[in-house]
Amino acid sequence: MTTGLDQREDGELIEIILGAARRGDVTTMARTAAEVSEMIRNWATHIPWDDFASLDGADDELAQVVADLEEMWEPAHLRNPVDPDEEYALDKNAYDFYRPAGRNLLTRTEDFHDWVLARRRTETWQYSRVLEAAPGSVAEITNDLGRRTRGINFNSQDYLSFNTHPAIRTAAERAMRDYGPHSAGSPMVLGNTRISDELERALGDLVGLEHVTLFPTGWAAGFGAVVGLVRQEDHILIDRLAHSCLQQGARAATRNVVRYEHLNVESVRQHLADIRGRDTRNGVLVVTDGLFSVDADWPDLVTLQRVCREYDATLLVDVAHDLGSMGPGGTGVLGLQGLLGSVDIVMGAFSKTFCSNGGFVASNSPALKQYIKMFGGSHFFSNALSPVQTAVVLEAARIIRSPEGDELRGRLFAAIDALRDELTTRGLTCMGEPSPIVPLLIGNEKLARVANRLLFDRGVLAFMVEFPVTPTGSSRFRLQVQADHRPEEAREAARIIEGAIADSRAYLSSAFGSAAK
Amino acid sequence: MYDAIVIGARCSGASTAMLLARRGYRVLVVDRSSFPSDVISTHFLWPHGMSYLNRWGLLEQVLAVTPAQTEIDVVNDGIRLTGSVPAELLRAYFRDLHGDGSGVVRTYASIRRSVLDQILVQAAAKAGAEVRTNFTVRDLIVEDGRVVGIRGRAPDGRSVEERARIVVGADGRNSFVARTLQLPKFDERPRCTFAYWSYYSGFSIETAQLHRRGRLACAVVPTNFEQNMVLVWGPSEWSREFRADVPGNYQRALDFVSPELGELVRAQGTREERIYGTLDQAAFLRPLHGPGWVLVGDAESFKDQCTAIGMTHAFRDAELASAALDRWLSDDASFDEVMASYERRRRGQDAAAYYDYVCTLAEMRPYRHDELQLFVALRGNQQEIDRFIATHADVAPVSEFFQASNLFLLNDAAKETSAGYPIFEDFAATSRMYQQNLFA
Ligand SMILES: Cc1cc2nc3c(=O)[nH]c(=O)nc-3n(C[C@H](O)[C@H](O)[C@H](O)COP(=O)(O)OP(=O)(O)OC[C@H]3O[C@@H](n4cnc5c(N)ncnc54)[C@H](O)[C@@H]3O)c2cc1C
Ligand SMILES: Cc1ncc(COP(=O)(O)O)c(C=O)c1O
Repeated sequence: MTTGLDQREDGELIEIILGAARRGDVTTMARTAAEVSEMIRNWATHIPWDDFASLDGADDELAQVVADLEEMWEPAHLRNPVDPDEEYALDKNAYDFYRPAGRNLLTRTEDFHDWVLARRRTETWQYSRVLEAAPGSVAEITNDLGRRTRGINFNSQDYLSFNTHPAIRTAAERAMRDYGPHSAGSPMVLGNTRISDELERALGDLVGLEHVTLFPTGWAAGFGAVVGLVRQEDHILIDRLAHSCLQQGARAATRNVVRYEHLNVESVRQHLADIRGRDTRNGVLVVTDGLFSVDADWPDLVTLQRVCREYDATLLVDVAHDLGSMGPGGTGVLGLQGLLGSVDIVMGAFSKTFCSNGGFVASNSPALKQYIKMFGGSHFFSNALSPVQTAVVLEAARIIRSPEGDELRGRLFAAIDALRDELTTRGLTCMGEPSPIVPLLIGNEKLARVANRLLFDRGVLAFMVEFPVTPTGSSRFRLQVQADHRPEEAREAARIIEGAIADSRAYLSSAFGSAAK
Repeated sequence: MYDAIVIGARCSGASTAMLLARRGYRVLVVDRSSFPSDVISTHFLWPHGMSYLNRWGLLEQVLAVTPAQTEIDVVNDGIRLTGSVPAELLRAYFRDLHGDGSGVVRTYASIRRSVLDQILVQAAAKAGAEVRTNFTVRDLIVEDGRVVGIRGRAPDGRSVEERARIVVGADGRNSFVARTLQLPKFDERPRCTFAYWSYYSGFSIETAQLHRRGRLACAVVPTNFEQNMVLVWGPSEWSREFRADVPGNYQRALDFVSPELGELVRAQGTREERIYGTLDQAAFLRPLHGPGWVLVGDAESFKDQCTAIGMTHAFRDAELASAALDRWLSDDASFDEVMASYERRRRGQDAAAYYDYVCTLAEMRPYRHDELQLFVALRGNQQEIDRFIATHADVAPVSEFFQASNLFLLNDAAKETSAGYPIFEDFAATSRMYQQNLFA
């Protein structure tokens, strides 16, 4: 069955055939073709290997054979190089640079920087844009090449549009007058003011947990809560998609970390059974977000909390995105699931609905509070929230719980529904559940980067998220809706986005859709 | 009048014909070649490829004449990872894609196409499909914009016309169907590898060897007839120089990538055939279906050989397309509905991510520092080595492995450091050296 060793290699034969074809010497072509391997003949089925002899006279047929053989022998791309910058910018991922080479920490960052520069030159770098004025439902921004644009703004996490709310601004001005811009030091020393205590109480009322600790950022609250509580021999079960502050806290606290499948409570139960089968002495912290900020979904917290109790594990839920913006009276996912006051530990951030910076950790235990203050390094060893921040959050908490809060959430959800409806009607995929975050799935990073570049000039400011925020190959636009978005504005944005995606597909000539699997 | 005519009778075509015939449809499958015969391919079949054969009841026949193993050695710049594809990932793959996780096997094999394609063609015939070999399709019959049949040349030279409700293009990279319908190509990725290989007797190896160094790679895998398939590949930009002396550069590449394998082949190997090769491997997608036609296998999506996945993907298409066509032919759903479901699976996110993975790998850039360190971090972490291998082979989604929190955890769990590996000693100088065309 196999061919002998005495035969010449296909490359040599194809060169002979090509030479003969260019001369119109079909006899040599036919004679040589007989020696070409079965491998090639059965693969390059578009070449009429057996019919070379009869090509005589039919000039365009012969020309076609020459063209096809040339393309096979030396494909066009070896002759026409592409724009190296654009290719480099579109092909790489940030993680490709995670472990740079070399012992000089300063110089070894340069590879990564070259890539950033290529992304910037090709205007596919979505980071580090700056605002020119207070953002509302429309914002004016400048990209990092200094190009300015204006568009419907889905980049703010100001879900209830508090940034332009008069009462919020007044609260900030009053605190500035009463206490000045500085927080005097760590909250453990003299960084807090009287309104800090008021804020702790207000937050406690909102989540139904009495003992609240403030942190300078949400990130610090998540990181501090985890490292404050968990020791090397303890265990952490964390949802794969939980926020970075929790993931990094877990890594810093213990090597016993299991990342369970997103939202899968049954798998938590199995892991807990497994851990408790081996270890009855140490603690287990189970960690999840409430509303997940990149997928817009949330776990069944009722079952999750019950499962944790069965195995003497402790549950921590991060409500950074949902508290204030959704749920009855702004109580978020906890309120939706009837869990106010009954989750072990709740943490949140003020950087979204609360229109400020900062974060908190809440529980029913005064002991836990004191312990985290002492051992969660980001509370003890970082300056307290400033008085202005504190006052803003306090005022925000008041509005959130008032009838005005309900009205704002009503407007917010009208815009959310309009946006999701218009996107879905246009055949695009919105992930998750109706919530202030509308993740629009794209998938391929190149497609997302090009679409993002187009949107910049078309009047929609959308944040594109890709690896490492999302797993490789599932990039998306994270559209953050506000109470001030009018439904018609949201629909208009959806139309523009659809156009940009379609044009990007055409530009890349891509046939991939964005369905999973 | 047939229910289906399949053009091409190899991995994608014979399988599609067999699966449709088994469901009781009248199927004609034609091929311009006769069988057994070879076609360009290094014929490595990953465990999901083997599992398809098992699900179809054909694996035993293959294993009777082909050596198979479970563990594979993947060696990158001297960093060795030995592992296998886990059964639970295989089951999840079949469940997610085909709705049923049965029949998985964990072995892989390298099966000469003359052996494998013959088994597939016979199975199609046994299932009741009518097989015509030495039959070249020369025309599609199109009526009212719809493909309704084929015209072709029978072995005796006669022109023959046949009609069917659907024509399946399983006719490979240079698809006749695609050319005739002037189908466009999408997502073209011109950068690819040149690949040259041959068959050697005289030595035996325990597990398949996949080695990579700089911009070159080699594979040595036991195959049929007590021979080993020995393959080298590199970036197509270097092909012109490589081709100036194929046998010499073939050995030079082997020696460069793995001096031990180079020595084994030189000292103990006897080459049994000429050296085969190609660099015509630019990747693309084509439209999947249209009125009266559907594409499967290389015809719908061609990718570089560097992850050895084309045959397995051809099997996958055969199962997906035949299941879809069955629903339509049995009046369960409309043609548009079933084709949309085929398309969703073939053009979804996971498929796109893997396509990108292969195309990026096919550029054969030297591994970066972080990639090599990841390989070091994986050593000793068997579960993750196995998952990496499964990801490389498109069993597990790229997005599951290449996810930030997973990669951070891999780093944290590292048992080894880079200390024992010469590649890290003067990394910058070595990387520069790797950019030099070895054959220039
Ligand atoms: C160098 C190289 C190495 C590879 N190595 C591997 C590997 O290790 N593992 C792996 O899984 N994949 C590998 N592949 C990919 C693999 O070979 C293909 O994906 C696979 O062959 C596709 O099968 P198919 O049935 O779609 O097409 P093909 O195998 O190409 O079959 C198409 C058939 O259609 C017939 N045909 C074409 N036109 C007509 C016509 N007009 N009338 C009648 N019949 C016609 C042809 O004669 C042919 O038999 C490799 C590819 C290359 C190029
Ligand atoms: C879920 C979640 N937790 C915590 C944080 C951190 O909050 P902050 O921005 O206040 O540091 C964020 C915001 O980035 C978040 O999305």
